[in-house]
Amino acid sequence: MNKKTSKTGVKHFYQTTEFSLIAIIVVLFACATFGTKNFFSEYNLMNLLKQCSITGVLAIAETFIIITSGIDISVGAVTGLSCMSVALLQSKMGVGILPSVVIAIIIGGVCGLYNAAIIYEFNVAPMIATLGSQTIIRGAVKIISEAKTISGLNKTFTGLGTGSLGYLPYLSLIWIVVAVFAVLVLKYTIFGRNLYVIGSGVEVARLSGIKVRKMFYSVYCLCGLLCGVAGVMLAARINSAVPTGGEGYEMDAIAASVIGGASLSGGRGAVTGTILGTILMVLITNAGTQFGMNTFVLEVTSGVLITLAVVVDQLKARKA
Amino acid sequence: MDNTLLKIEHISKFYPGVTALNDVSFTIDKGEVRALVGENGAGKSTLIKCIMGVEKPNNGTISLNYNGNWVSGMDALQTQAHGMFANYQHVNIAPDLSIAENYFLGKVPKTKFGTVDWKKMNEESQVIIDKFKMDVNPLAKIKDLPIAMQAMVTISKISVNKDIKLVIFDEPTALLENEKVETLFHYIQELKQQGVSVIYISHRLEEIMDICDTVTILKDGTYVDTKPVSEVTKESLVSMMVGREMSDIYDIRHFEPGEELLRVENFGDDHHFRNINFSVHKGEILGFFGLVGAGRSEIMRALYGVERHTTGAVYLKGKETRIRNPQEALELGIGFLTEDRRADGLALPLEIKTNVNMNSYDMISKSGIINLKREEERAEEFSKKINVKTPSIHQLVSNLSGGNQQKVVIAKLLCRDPEILIFDEPTVGVDVGAKEEIFKLIERMTEQGKGVLLISSYLPEVMGLSDRLIVMSQGNITAVYDKEQMKNLTEEEVLMEASIEE
Repeated sequence: MNKKTSKTGVKHFYQTTEFSLIAIIVVLFACATFGTKNFFSEYNLMNLLKQCSITGVLAIAETFIIITSGIDISVGAVTGLSCMSVALLQSKMGVGILPSVVIAIIIGGVCGLYNAAIIYEFNVAPMIATLGSQTIIRGAVKIISEAKTISGLNKTFTGLGTGSLGYLPYLSLIWIVVAVFAVLVLKYTIFGRNLYVIGSGVEVARLSGIKVRKMFYSVYCLCGLLCGVAGVMLAARINSAVPTGGEGYEMDAIAASVIGGASLSGGRGAVTGTILGTILMVLITNAGTQFGMNTFVLEVTSGVLITLAVVVDQLKARKA
Repeated sequence: MDNTLLKIEHISKFYPGVTALNDVSFTIDKGEVRALVGENGAGKSTLIKCIMGVEKPNNGTISLNYNGNWVSGMDALQTQAHGMFANYQHVNIAPDLSIAENYFLGKVPKTKFGTVDWKKMNEESQVIIDKFKMDVNPLAKIKDLPIAMQAMVTISKISVNKDIKLVIFDEPTALLENEKVETLFHYIQELKQQGVSVIYISHRLEEIMDICDTVTILKDGTYVDTKPVSEVTKESLVSMMVGREMSDIYDIRHFEPGEELLRVENFGDDHHFRNINFSVHKGEILGFFGLVGAGRSEIMRALYGVERHTTGAVYLKGKETRIRNPQEALELGIGFLTEDRRADGLALPLEIKTNVNMNSYDMISKSGIINLKREEERAEEFSKKINVKTPSIHQLVSNLSGGNQQKVVIAKLLCRDPEILIFDEPTVGVDVGAKEEIFKLIERMTEQGKGVLLISSYLPEVMGLSDRLIVMSQGNITAVYDKEQMKNLTEEEVLMEASIEE
């Protein structure tokens, strides 16, 4: 019997992706705390949390999709659309906070349904389908905003983006709620299990009596709704909506999922990993800035990290 | 001159938690056809991978006598360059390419301008296709071919190579019909005459008796013995493989059929099958035999609601029922073990636990929330019942051997406790021990009053197990035999019925 695995064939905690990520995060955190003047300050840590929150919600949305062996590269665009919608509704149409937020989130859900329809009904690869919708949505955002920045949001609403409960920013609170919800869904519900089965093979799922069409619509809709939430968070945080809002967020979301152990070939992925992946990504940029590192160098570092995560994963798979 | 071609010395291979091979040594001579037998999990596939350089053994060396020089420690590319080729158990070819392109993958003929010489490629492919009596167009895409034909393409692909030293066949006949098996055997004889050595893995011991010179037995990753085929019998082989004597494994108890469970009338889909009538009763095993393309699997897929049927009706316990999708079929108590377990039976990257529960989560959950304790209990219970060999139900299914994977699919099926069970080729790529367990299980199912539809391309199996036998050819039922008639039935008669042309 090989000593590396326990008797039951289950991995020890120290062998998991989560453990490696926590270790790296702790080391980085310690280095930044003792190596820089401003990293371990209330202002910076709160800022770090806020930076994590929006990417964090999107990364969870993306994890759901990646588990089904799909990919959604429209999440950034949908976030931008929802952000712009909430801003327009509040400043130009005088809609109240709650209705504007609900409408913005629903718009996100509708985008998700659209993606599902293209992917399932026309059998288009998720990458291509969402590339199309990404471009459509980006254009639409510029049309409805006339390519202008929209400000003048409700003050109570923007308080949500800047305020905090003790040391916990409201934005992070939303992230935590979404994360807990996602963990529960994946662990305890049939819906969650079915996502993994679909990710292992659509035919297997179909023959096992899983309503594959319904599952596709549900999961892409869920992803869209979460993007809607992220869009609302973004609007509250920056106190306005820019026509290019959310651009590039999809890549962060995908990266965080993959660093966290989700497999693009489907059937694998976990919310805990994705959360840690998000924190690690944001931490590198934040700590790097505190160290006074060149932003371009930081970009390269993030890229190297993503590559490393995938390579290490492949090496592990080969060993197993 | 040294007549040894391959030396396997003290090979061991460990995977986490499993010793796949333990100090295995033997040699193979030039022009020898060597059978490699053992139960699932005996280490045959791992050994093949080590020989081919796909896996690196933890200990030991494998050396090839390459024109008088001993070469060892080769990787996957080097083994091929030295004339070693393997035909793996799972069809492993590019589905979107044509037959010709697959044949010449990596060695495409070029014109003098350096472009692909399509004409030459297609002509040479046609020669191979004719040689293997395949009757297909070399331009046909692999994914459009039936799985048996795909298997034939992978086999015939080997003959494209020049300077072949060793060919390994891993369960080549699992997906083939009898006529193609003949063609394959012919090719193996031809290889032998050219002085090429062959390693032949099969669970069908009759085949080994027919075409192999010698047989090496592996058991639980260790080497047992090598003997000339002339000195062994099927029974002695089995006892060496499993450590016990083979009783007649098809000898199961049969039960008096009860009330009718399922009746199909005038069933047809305009394409694969037509005018199909049959019924299955409680406690009855209804066998389906036919050559590949006879339409048996298609009927079952239509019954299960995966494909549409255009004519006829299905009656469950006398009541006309429409089954529109697999979910309805499952709810109505129909379970379906599909032919291709890897493609549509298992979620390979997931745990045994999830696989076993996969089609019955609704039974252990309330408003969509799964009872995790019940999930584990059921996985434990059913994998134990079916004797899945695994350290834990948390093991990933992709890490299991073929026979154990099949058991997981069966466990998943039984988890729903269906009344009607459709088994489509339940013993493909499954060893004798696991086969026997599967047959016992079918026996137990019928004892409980379930109705079984059994599709098999392996005549002794389907004739041995069925209470009644339906023979199909090209989408039509050509013969039906009851138990009485089957007593005096010969395999030749059944084969005749199965090859009736319209």
